[in-house]
Formats: sequence, C-alpha cells, structure tokens
Amino acid sequence: MKNHFDNLSLRQVTRRFGGGPGAGKKGSAPVLAALDGLSLDVAKGEFIALLGPSGCGKSTALNCIAGLLALSEGQILLDDRRIDLLPPEERGFGMVFQNYALFPHMTVEKNIGFGLLMRGLPEREIAQRVAKAIDLVQLGAHTQKLPGQMSGGQQQRVAIARAIVIEPPLILMDEPLSNLDAKLRLEMRTEIRRIHGELGRTTLYVTHDQDEALSLADRIVVMKDGVAQQIGTPQMVYSQPQNLAVARFMGYRNELLLDVVEQRDGVGQLKGPGISISGTVRGDLGSKAVAAFRPDDCSIVPNDVSPANALTARVDAVEYYGRETLFMLRTLDNVPLFVRTQGSATIGESLTISIPRERILIYPPEQAK
Amino acid sequence: MIQGASDRPGAWWKDLTFWMLAPATLFILLVFVYPFVDGLILSFNPMNGGYFANYENFFSDPRLWQTIGTTMKLALPATLINVGVAIPVAYRLRNKSPYQKLATTIITIPLTLGTVLIAQGMLSYFGPNGWFSQLVQWLNIWDGPVRLTHNYWGVLISLVISGFPFVFLLILSYITGIDPVLSRAAATLGANPFRQFRHIVFPLLLPGLAMSFALSFVQAFSVFPSAILLGAPSGPTRVISIAAYEAAFENYDYSLASAIAMIMGIVQLVVVALVLGFRRLSYRGPVTGGKG
Repeated sequence: MKNHFDNLSLRQVTRRFGGGPGAGKKGSAPVLAALDGLSLDVAKGEFIALLGPSGCGKSTALNCIAGLLALSEGQILLDDRRIDLLPPEERGFGMVFQNYALFPHMTVEKNIGFGLLMRGLPEREIAQRVAKAIDLVQLGAHTQKLPGQMSGGQQQRVAIARAIVIEPPLILMDEPLSNLDAKLRLEMRTEIRRIHGELGRTTLYVTHDQDEALSLADRIVVMKDGVAQQIGTPQMVYSQPQNLAVARFMGYRNELLLDVVEQRDGVGQLKGPGISISGTVRGDLGSKAVAAFRPDDCSIVPNDVSPANALTARVDAVEYYGRETLFMLRTLDNVPLFVRTQGSATIGESLTISIPRERILIYPPEQAK
Repeated sequence: MIQGASDRPGAWWKDLTFWMLAPATLFILLVFVYPFVDGLILSFNPMNGGYFANYENFFSDPRLWQTIGTTMKLALPATLINVGVAIPVAYRLRNKSPYQKLATTIITIPLTLGTVLIAQGMLSYFGPNGWFSQLVQWLNIWDGPVRLTHNYWGVLISLVISGFPFVFLLILSYITGIDPVLSRAAATLGANPFRQFRHIVFPLLLPGLAMSFALSFVQAFSVFPSAILLGAPSGPTRVISIAAYEAAFENYDYSLASAIAMIMGIVQLVVVALVLGFRRLSYRGPVTGGKG
C-alpha cells in the first residue's frame, strides 16, 4: 500500500453480472455487461466524476476499482503495477458508501480510527490523526456518539473522515450526497470540494446529478448502458456533448427530427414544417438529422419578426416558476417542445421561438433511440 | 398496541384490543400459569415434614442434588458446541446461493426427526458393533470397541444432533440480518476477512448469540428421552428430569417431583438471566450501516 501514485489506469475494464458460474460460456445465454470496456487514465490529484443514470455502470466501475467486484475482463494498473487481482484490504483506497456503511456499534472516534487500527498504528498516533480528521469534517462535539444518534449529514461527514484518515492514494465516493436533503447536499458539495482542495487527494466520484458532477469535477466520464460516452472537462461535456445520449443528460431536452438541407464546414441547415434552423453538426448525417437544444436557450420573438433561426409552435401548457416560465409547446408536427424563458402566453396561441445557432447541436438520427 | 388501547374512551369490554388479546391470555393462564402455580403450591406440601421438607430433602440427598451438576455437564458443553459450530457454518452460508439452500436443508433435517428416532439411529450407528465403531477399528485409530452409547457421550452427541439445526437456523437469521456492506466497508479500510468478522460481524452478532445460547441451553437442560435411551440413566446421565420422573411415577411423590421441577426451572432461569444480563453489555441497536 502506497500513499502516493502518479497514474491510475483502467484498461478495458469489463464486468458482467448474473448467470452464476458458467455464465458467458459457449452455448449459454449471453450475459449483459454492466460495465463494458471502460478505459480511463487518472492523474494524481484529479477529481473525476462518473456521471450517468441509474444502471449505467458507474457504481460497478467504482466497486471494481475498490476491489469489491472482480473484473470479468480488463486490467487496473497503479503506476504500471496490476492491482485488479488484489483484495480490497490490500488496495488501501478510501471509500465513501452511498448509505455511509458506518459501523453501528462503534463511536464516531472508533469508526474513523478503524482503518488506522487495521494498519497496526500505535494508539497515540491513531488518536492524533483521528482528532485531525474530526477537525477537518467539523464534528468536534460528536466524537463519542454512535452513528444511530446522528443526522444524515453528520453521518456523511463521519464516512468521509473515515475514508480520508487513512490517507489513501485514491478516494472513491459512491453517490455520497444522494441521501441528503437539497440544502444539505449543497453544503456537503462545497465541503467535499474544500476537503479535496486541502488534501489534494485523487478522487473518483460517482453521481447521477449533473450539477454535482459539473461543479465538483476536473473531468467527467459520462456513462450509459455500461459504456463511457464521453470523457472530458465539465465545459467540454456541457457545451460539446459527444452524442445525443450525453446531450440528453446535459439538459438538451428538446429533440426535433428534421430534413437536412445543407451541411458545410461543420454547420448544418435543417428544415421541417414551420421550422428552419441551423446548428453545429456532430457526427455523419444522412438525409435526416436530430436537432437538440436546451429549454433555457430558447426565446420568444414577436410573430411579425422572422429571425433566421426560428420555429413556430403552439402553446400546450404554461408553468410559472417566478423568475422564469416553462412553456410546453407542440410543433406543427405535434412534437413536444420545452421552452424556459421570461414572458407570457395563452394556451393555444402560436409562438415564434428563436434559438441561437451556436446553441443547437445536430446529431445523426440513429442516436435518437 | 396496548398503550393505545387505554387512550380510547369507553368501557374495557368495548375495546377490540382486549378481545384480541383474550384468547392468548386465557391459553397462557390455563396451560402455563395454572399448572405452574399448582406445582409451586404442591411443592410446599410434602408428604412428610414442614413446608420446606422437599427442598431440604433435595439438597441433602446426593442422589438428588448431584443431578444438577450431571445435567449441567451435559447441557453446557452441548450448548457451547452447538453455538460454537453454528457460528462459522452460518457465517460461511450467509450469502444467498443454490449451495446455501442445499446445505441449509441438509443441516435442518434432524429438526424434523424426533428424539426417539435419533436415538434409534444412533444406537445402531454408534453402538459397540455399529458402523462407526467398525470404521474406527478398521482405520486403526482406536483399539477395542468404541463405546458411544449408553454413556455420557451418547447423550451429548444426541443433544448436539437435535439441538444444532435449531441454533444454526437462529444464528443464520441473525447473521443474514447484518448489512453486508459493513464488511465491505471494513475491507476497504484494510480489514482482512478474519478481522471483518472479529471487529464487525461478531460484535453485531453477540446479542443474537446470547439469545441462541439461552434458548439452546434451556432445551438441553430439560433433556429426558435421550438420557434414558442413549445414556446410563442410573449413573453418569441421571439428569434432573429423570429424578423428577422417578419421584413422580416410581415413588408417586408428586410433591417432591414438583419441588424438583421448580429447582430445575430456577437453575434454567439463573443461567438465562446471566446470559441475557451479559447481553445487555453489548451493542443492541440496528445492524445496518446508516440511512438507506
């Protein structure tokens, strides 16, 4: 167990579930891979978020790295040393579990000191390091409490302290904030970022919340159906989604299947009934293409003005949110459309919606499944 | 809830809770409380002598008071073996698998056999000319016939065979109740499988172990048929229930028999109280890892 490393490398990490022994052999039914060929290089000190909907394989990936799940295929290397065959206790990574997994019969102090006790450190050093960790997560008043006597946020802090006190080269977090209420989640998010900054430890963070991933991570791995769809900085993933799956996850809620009029220099011109828009092309287009854009990027323009990038739609429903209003519209083809902007409209009214060209992404239609 | 019942206005006989509790209460009164009180009173009305003559008699006659020790010598080791062996077996079988189902079924079969059937089987298997004895001699492990029936060992083995499945099922249900994610958390903190058990599973299992021990002990302490069928009922396995039986049905001294039964009950109660008192010292809260 080393406290530092320069590079963690996942090579084609694959994990299949189910079927029991003999599954996947010739003749048996094919077993779906929960995680399919994930390759990723993590540098020291990086904060990586694995982002995706439930069942996308992100937790499987984390458990494979922690050693709690064996790989079906692939390798995990830590500075060119294979670690994927080591049991979890010999990897020495700190892990924060979704339901915290605090030892219910141990006090906060004992919980946090457990990893150090397992490493056979002298009692005095354990006490010192535990006290430091308790200070870091600001739990000074609760050292002698049992987990059952604490709130969710406090338990969460204990779980984090327990994982970082062993000074692991890598910290793994499995949806650590999903059991907290909205306000506490924001507080703890800041806290996690602060602790990461203070300790400079490499962190792998699993979440289904795009805000969490965008605000915390240096790089994001967007996953779907066990496959990494895009790996990049938050800015890249947010503004240049690789494919429609990533775009959908990044809030591109509107999708229109349209005819391709022209495609030149990465810019496509699309047409449909009452629709004429152009945007950035990502992928090889045929005669049809899907235009995707965010509800927030739309604006309502007066009907007598006819801007370049616009479409006509009928108002289906209106939800007032205070600062903004969410308009649910239908195009002339009866495709639902969401627009989030200021202004007002009555149901049944026809509106002209304008979207800036750089905010429209165009994908091949086969991704729209 | 009984507390909730008193909050309701109206007479007690209008309360549904009362009527729902009535059958069980009546049953306990008729089948347990009445015979117990009757026996208790009977034990203070000896055939000869004062109120306490039966108890004085019991503790002055070595053939009577020594049965406590004789029964202890059988019940304590049997219980310790049952609990001690059930822990690793149940721990090994804690995860769901087809293998677990098969093993659990096989282990549980003796529960369905009566004590007398087990005794019958043991007499032919463990007897001086039984398969076990022949096997041991054929392997040259021991010279001469192996005597595992009609003595202390026969009764002990029988107590283990009939008691183990019961203890195993109890402990298995306690172990599977412990959140497996706790062991995984311990593993990521550097605990090998043995230390995961020693620091996490065992402390959380302790209250369940105390419960299993108490129940198994009470069962073993009241051993009767196997002590006669497989033991030496006049000597080394003259357990306390045999003494009570002799008093009641050979000497027709129901009063003394009642006194012996009371003493037997008190000894069981003391051991159970000790074990459960010890249980109070251990952690007894939830055995999951936090808010789920």
